[in-house]
Amino acid sequence: MPLLTAAEETALSPTFGHGLKRAADALAEMTGHDIIVAAPSVRLCAAAEVIAMAGGPDAIVVGIYLGIGGSLTGHALLMLPPDGAHHLAQILTDGMAQPDAGDGIADPLVFDALAISALQEVGNVMISAFLNELGLHLTEPVMPSVPQAVVEMAGAILDAVLVDLSMAGDSLLAARAAFIDGDDSIEGTLLVLPRAESLGTLLRVLGVDGQ
Amino acid sequence: MTSTLVPPPQAGGAPLLVAGIGEMVLSRDPKITLVAYGLGSCVALAAWDPRTSVGGLAHFMLPAGPPGGPPVKFIDGGLQAFLDGFVRQGGRPHHAQLKGAGGAAMLSIVSGGLEIGRRNAEAVAAGLAALGLTLHARDFGGTSGRTVQLEVATGRLLVKSVSTVTTL
Repeated sequence: MPLLTAAEETALSPTFGHGLKRAADALAEMTGHDIIVAAPSVRLCAAAEVIAMAGGPDAIVVGIYLGIGGSLTGHALLMLPPDGAHHLAQILTDGMAQPDAGDGIADPLVFDALAISALQEVGNVMISAFLNELGLHLTEPVMPSVPQAVVEMAGAILDAVLVDLSMAGDSLLAARAAFIDGDDSIEGTLLVLPRAESLGTLLRVLGVDGQ
Repeated sequence: MTSTLVPPPQAGGAPLLVAGIGEMVLSRDPKITLVAYGLGSCVALAAWDPRTSVGGLAHFMLPAGPPGGPPVKFIDGGLQAFLDGFVRQGGRPHHAQLKGAGGAAMLSIVSGGLEIGRRNAEAVAAGLAALGLTLHARDFGGTSGRTVQLEVATGRLLVKSVSTVTTL
């Protein structure tokens, strides 16, 4: 059963779109690069569709997770393809992050501690910027947790979050955008998964009566 | 570029039947491979009857919960539903090879995330024991996600993570 009606989804779209723009601005400020957000979309979709967006259930991605507390509760997840994540890590560490396990053999799925730390900060900054946009509509602050980055199968990362929400078969609110740095496009999928009661709160403050 | 652990099926090759979260797949077609992708704290239970070559794969999400929704979302009600389906295909649970995988602790900061994987693994073993059944092989726990593939022709269960491939 869908979480939202079409009218409710439409009401949320501008706010989530602004949130994506804020996230891109935060990334631009962090990297010193002119990063623009392209083709932002906010929609309700099934878990399988979200996983397909990230490349498929066993596509290996870098997932940066933050829990959401305060006036909204739920989960936020930024999923980046490994090559895009390496690109960001290189920018943020001035080329010091090494894509190998210390043996000098480059491996696109290996991220050293410096790269992981940088990517956790990317998730922290982008998701916090996104949540700040939602927070503009609320009287109490939204509090993200510390970030955790993992290099894992997209399906397994999402599974861990869905299990906490007990949401198999339900729809998810997914905000997706490509973040473009010059000629390089990094297609990131930003998922914001509010708990049902928090979605109701958000709809009320945006002037839509939640069911 | 994305990296995948399991290559897509070849044109005209062996088809895959996929068990999404809370779903089960069953077959007696030896050309079929049953798959559950991206298990985090979820667990998969594979059943294969060596005499009838019936295979089944269930992708459980949580130990217990209310009825309704996807057929094997919860282990408490879904385990019997899975075994009933296996029997309808011609499988015999008490003569089947039963193998389990999954139940990882993926994201340590998700509330309860560390516990659910372990509880799922325990619930599958306990649920089978209550029916007089035991797991013949298992690969539970750890911190890595898994994709599992059951070959209906052979009963071989491949368990793949980002860095390893094992056969149960």
